[in-house]
Amino acid sequence: MAETNLTPPLTSSPRWENVRRSIYRFRRNPLSTVGFVMLVFIFIIALIAPAIVPFPEDAVGKVRALDRLKPPDGEFYFGTDNVGRDIFSRTLMGTGLALQVGVVIIVLAASIGVTIGCIAGYFGGWTDELLMRITDIFLTVPALILAIAVTAALGKGIINVMIGIALVWWPGFARLTRSLVLSLREEPFVEAARGIGAGHLRVLFRHILPNIASPIIVKMSTDFGFAVLTAAALGFIGLGAQPPTPEWGAMINDGRDYFPDRWWMATFPGMAIFIMVFSWNLLGDGLRDLLDPRARR
Amino acid sequence: MTLRLYLLRRILLVIPLLIGLSLLTFTVSRILPGDPVGLAAGPQATPEIREALARQFGLDQPLPVQYLNYIAGLFQGDWGQSLYSRRLVLDDLRVFFPATFELTIAAVFIATVLGVPAGFMSAVYRDKLPDQVVRVIALFFVSFPAFWLAMIFQSILGVTLDWFPIGKRFDVLLAPPATITGMFTVDALLHLDFQAFGIALSHLATPALVLSFGSLASVTRITRTAVLDALDRDSVRMERALGIPYRVILSKYVLRNALIAILTIVALEFGWLLAGAVLVETIFDFPGLGLYAVESSLRLDFEPIMGITILYGIVFSLINIAIDIAYGIIDPRIRYG
Repeated sequence: MAETNLTPPLTSSPRWENVRRSIYRFRRNPLSTVGFVMLVFIFIIALIAPAIVPFPEDAVGKVRALDRLKPPDGEFYFGTDNVGRDIFSRTLMGTGLALQVGVVIIVLAASIGVTIGCIAGYFGGWTDELLMRITDIFLTVPALILAIAVTAALGKGIINVMIGIALVWWPGFARLTRSLVLSLREEPFVEAARGIGAGHLRVLFRHILPNIASPIIVKMSTDFGFAVLTAAALGFIGLGAQPPTPEWGAMINDGRDYFPDRWWMATFPGMAIFIMVFSWNLLGDGLRDLLDPRARR
Repeated sequence: MTLRLYLLRRILLVIPLLIGLSLLTFTVSRILPGDPVGLAAGPQATPEIREALARQFGLDQPLPVQYLNYIAGLFQGDWGQSLYSRRLVLDDLRVFFPATFELTIAAVFIATVLGVPAGFMSAVYRDKLPDQVVRVIALFFVSFPAFWLAMIFQSILGVTLDWFPIGKRFDVLLAPPATITGMFTVDALLHLDFQAFGIALSHLATPALVLSFGSLASVTRITRTAVLDALDRDSVRMERALGIPYRVILSKYVLRNALIAILTIVALEFGWLLAGAVLVETIFDFPGLGLYAVESSLRLDFEPIMGITILYGIVFSLINIAIDIAYGIIDPRIRYG
């Protein structure tokens, strides 16, 4: 399709205007700004951890029997665990894994949810009815229990944890997407696109999706912290990454038997989970206000 | 439509939902890989033993037949049998459900008592210091991994300070109160046994506190939004113009207008915590639905999981119906239809 040059070039399209206004509102919320800065810091740590930690080999199965259960000191900042591995190195090396797990869960859940929500909202009728009833069933299921059961049935491992959690996570995205699509379906620009003969796929991807992307992205980031938390929980139960992978939930589980006498084993990975989830939640707090028109006053 | 007709329709609509739920868990349990029979029979089992076990539990039949048998059993009060312990699922649920129910009520109580006033204050002092402080605290508590916090609270409150027991539902050396409801605190009170009530309550305290943290943030946030909404009404401006003291406006008019949203979130949190108690129960060795679910999952023992899911579906649906009825009581203008 040929682009016309009849209209003067727009310096700022309405969509960009919206984004810019959102960024302005976002920056006025001090909590979100703090969360954003903390997350930048966490991403940097995840990237450079292998290069800066004193004992990177401890994350891949090295054991030092002579250094077992040492309390935090100048050599081992967070102490050592029951097989003599440096907890500081392992905790920092686990940052990247936690972020990856969060990304995979959220992207997987959003892909399923957005697809189902788009189809339901766009086509309506019995398709909508059927898909939404299925969504309702998944919303009624006790999420954590189903995630645990699915992961257990698929077999232990971090990949199966991500599949198990994503499988119970998508209904929220489906509901959100459907309501957004419904609000746009009858808009003149959608009708116009259809009127000039655009196919369903083109209308959905070229005209509807770009206009509903920002609320979906916001939900992806507000959900991120809880996805990390849920994955850590499954790791703690023993379903997640298998030794020697430095997965925070599994590290806490390792330290459980030594708590509270050898408190450092479980405490530092727990703090790491907390800092990561707290950062995402601070960020999400501001983002949620952008989404909720009632909070904009 | 009258309330009775409306209720009947809502309750009938629960049935297809339950069928969907059972189909979902059945699919998870039978189609995903994993070898429940092998696990239950043990590593030394010969193929003959495994076959016999599969036959005894009906696992040798085609899947659609298995499913129909299961559904038929549900209606006859046969919720299946644990492959691992050979106990009837319904008997287990009778013991574990009241425990989790009791724990969840205590947790929701704590979350409401702390969260609603905090959210109210947050709204009244919108964007001022108290608002920011409340928001940070709420986000702070919800960001902790529950299992980790449970571990720390257990060792501080249970070991170091020795204020509360470190786990279980009741003193292991004593017999719990005779079962009436299955909830130990309620049963103790019904027997007028205040010592047993104290023991049961002290066992609930720490797990309920930790469990409540998960709901604190959303109860606070929803209360804040609801109160902000209520404060923005023209009626509030009118009431202020009339010179009604601000305190009276807040406690009498604003609170009532915010009540529907608050009630909804509290009831929904109750439903979510009922399933979210899994981790806290694991740490405190609290014999409830969550611990039962985790142990059954790890043994690939799926009959209990299906039972839990269906029970949960029933409870969650009932909560939603109860919320709708409560709407009508709070706001008489609401009509059912």
